[in-house]
Amino acid sequence: MYQVEASKALLKPSLWARHSARLSVPRNVVMLGLVSLLTDVSSEMVATVLPLYLVFTLGASPLVFGAIDGTYRGAAALVQVASGFASDRFRRPKEVAGLGYGISAVGKVALVAAGNTIGGIGAIVAFDRVGKGIRTAPRDALISLSSAKENLATSFGVHRAMDSAGAMLGPLVAFGILFVAPARFDAVFVVSTMFAVLGLAVLVLTVQGRPRRAPKPETSTAPSLRAAAGLVRDPRFGLLLLAAVGLSIASVSDAMIYVGLQRKIDFEPAVFPLLYVVTAIVFMGLAIPFGQLADRVGKVPVLLAGYALLFIVYGLLLMTSLGYGMLIVCLIALGGYFAATEGVMTALAGAVLPEKLQASGIGILITVVSIGQFLSSLAFGALWFAIGLQSAVLIFAAALALAIAVAAPLLWRAQRAPVHG
Amino acid sequence: MDSRSKKILAVLVVLCVVGGGAYVAIAALGPSQTTTDARPEAGAVLAKTDLMVRAVDPKQTNLNGRVYEIDDGKVRQGSGDLACERVYYAAGHGICMGVAPSGVDYDATLFDSRMRPVHKIALTGLPSRARVSADGRYGAMTVFVTGDSYLESPTAFSTRTTIVDMASGRQIGQLEQFAVSKDGKPFDAVDFNFWGVTFARDPNRFYATLGTGGVHYLVEGDVRTKSMRVLREGVECPSLSPDGKQIAYKSRIGTEPRWHLRVLDVATLADHPVAESHSIDDQVEWLDDKTLVYSDGTNVYTVPADGSGQAGLLVRDATSPVRLVAPVG
Repeated sequence: MYQVEASKALLKPSLWARHSARLSVPRNVVMLGLVSLLTDVSSEMVATVLPLYLVFTLGASPLVFGAIDGTYRGAAALVQVASGFASDRFRRPKEVAGLGYGISAVGKVALVAAGNTIGGIGAIVAFDRVGKGIRTAPRDALISLSSAKENLATSFGVHRAMDSAGAMLGPLVAFGILFVAPARFDAVFVVSTMFAVLGLAVLVLTVQGRPRRAPKPETSTAPSLRAAAGLVRDPRFGLLLLAAVGLSIASVSDAMIYVGLQRKIDFEPAVFPLLYVVTAIVFMGLAIPFGQLADRVGKVPVLLAGYALLFIVYGLLLMTSLGYGMLIVCLIALGGYFAATEGVMTALAGAVLPEKLQASGIGILITVVSIGQFLSSLAFGALWFAIGLQSAVLIFAAALALAIAVAAPLLWRAQRAPVHG
Repeated sequence: MDSRSKKILAVLVVLCVVGGGAYVAIAALGPSQTTTDARPEAGAVLAKTDLMVRAVDPKQTNLNGRVYEIDDGKVRQGSGDLACERVYYAAGHGICMGVAPSGVDYDATLFDSRMRPVHKIALTGLPSRARVSADGRYGAMTVFVTGDSYLESPTAFSTRTTIVDMASGRQIGQLEQFAVSKDGKPFDAVDFNFWGVTFARDPNRFYATLGTGGVHYLVEGDVRTKSMRVLREGVECPSLSPDGKQIAYKSRIGTEPRWHLRVLDVATLADHPVAESHSIDDQVEWLDDKTLVYSDGTNVYTVPADGSGQAGLLVRDATSPVRLVAPVG
């Protein structure tokens, strides 16, 4: 076990008196967090400068790139389910995750070597998406299997905090390079490749592929496709999926929320990019304490409280105009909502799923949630168009209240029901 | 982790830090520029009207280019050292949008009749369109912004259009916050994007493009009431003629990013093509009430607005043409 000092300011003595103020996180989880941090620095560096690069160096119209994008999402979702099952079937989550990280790293090298045509860049973006699709489920399964059940949410919190730290550092590194070497995008791609290689190296060299909760090959059989598909009807995991899809359909995506805020606030355009940064900082800061809280008071109440934070965001979206103070409240609520739901939901799945089907289940969960988010965005966009932003937000607030009311008993039963099989 | 893994990892870290650092250092020491020294050349067709253009290096079209005047067919560099990707000027007030000296950000310089910088405005995205009302009171700037949400796609583009007071440099409003109506009813959607403003003689009245759901609407707006109404479909980057009777615009070919130039009558909204057969991605300028002037990204051309005649090369290695009523600088 790794001992990581927690941020003391966040630990209220009254609430935590019975527990140690030290955070106990398995070494494997910290290493996986480091892998994600390095990989996110690498991909966010590229994502940040890619539009500039296309227009500045290749002279492309931004509209051309808009068309390249957004075509590979469906493929990535299917890859998640397949890679999750493959990882369980061959009992090799580390190797399958490594394949995903490796594909993304190769994409970065390809960018350095051949990133000078628009078609080539489109292919590299697709490559990166597929790599991300492959690695997510087995990596989350490894985090889950490396942690004791009573520490699952803390482990996911630590991982998500490190992951988003990487996502925030990436643009800083990229802009730093372009600041000292204006218009030298090749330098950004080279350094991005270095980060990707280091991420892969940390995975290969330091992460334990058969962590403590992993099923022993001698004592368990490889799961069949039928068993993985049967998860959907599992009395515990099935309920969790149902709750997750309902909650995600009732949640307005952050991109939509930012567009809504933009209509309400009369701020300088230069402030707009800061909205994402503030939300990401809040997410990063709260992911660990909320994970710990979920391990102490229960994952379900923290998860539901997180969705309740969305009501604050919806409420502020309903106001006719917003000042900076209200905007900050809104961003804190939004960041808190992410911190209390994203990792905690996966931790809940990790606790409910049988050990030998962890990656399959998590792959199914991520896919179901992303389908829910997609439907939510479609519905919210259509409602906004048909009846206006205010009414659309009101309908989503009602839907969210309903989803929380329905999900609460489902999640409680999922958590409490006797262990299946 | 065994000691062999530790050693391998340590070697890799050192290699990456040293290799990456060295590459960046060499790149930083090497030549890098954000402004080209390219100079426009007058083409075969002589313009009776004076023009302002921005020079372009055909090999690197997105470097900032210096601002030139075409005066009686002769090319003359403007006073000052203004360089940008997009320029516009009217009645003593100009906008020059381009890459900031850092090479990372974009900014707009508002300049005066002697091309001296007066205000600097930071831009949140790639420069696209710039316009100043004929009396020099208002300016409009469109930029492309990337959807930089860390959970969403970082590569999706949207536009943002800002109206500024040219004298003070103060921002008056963003079109995204104006109320829009269509057929007398409120009209709104999450994917509303606005671009390509053109001002009427009364600078409070303007036309622009509203893009939503794959359709491009011509809207007529009012700066004072912060409102717009939809006039018709299929119009991008409108440009009002000096007499206010016609609008030149680009018309999308299918769903591709390719456009033909057309001209519509403001009173009837009926339209006709002009004799330019190539795809043009530009907000057209009017040389006079009968002639369009525009760029294909590397050269400036003219074509009659009534659909007759043919396109002719006016200035080589230049974009962003602006009709000058009086000489500048």
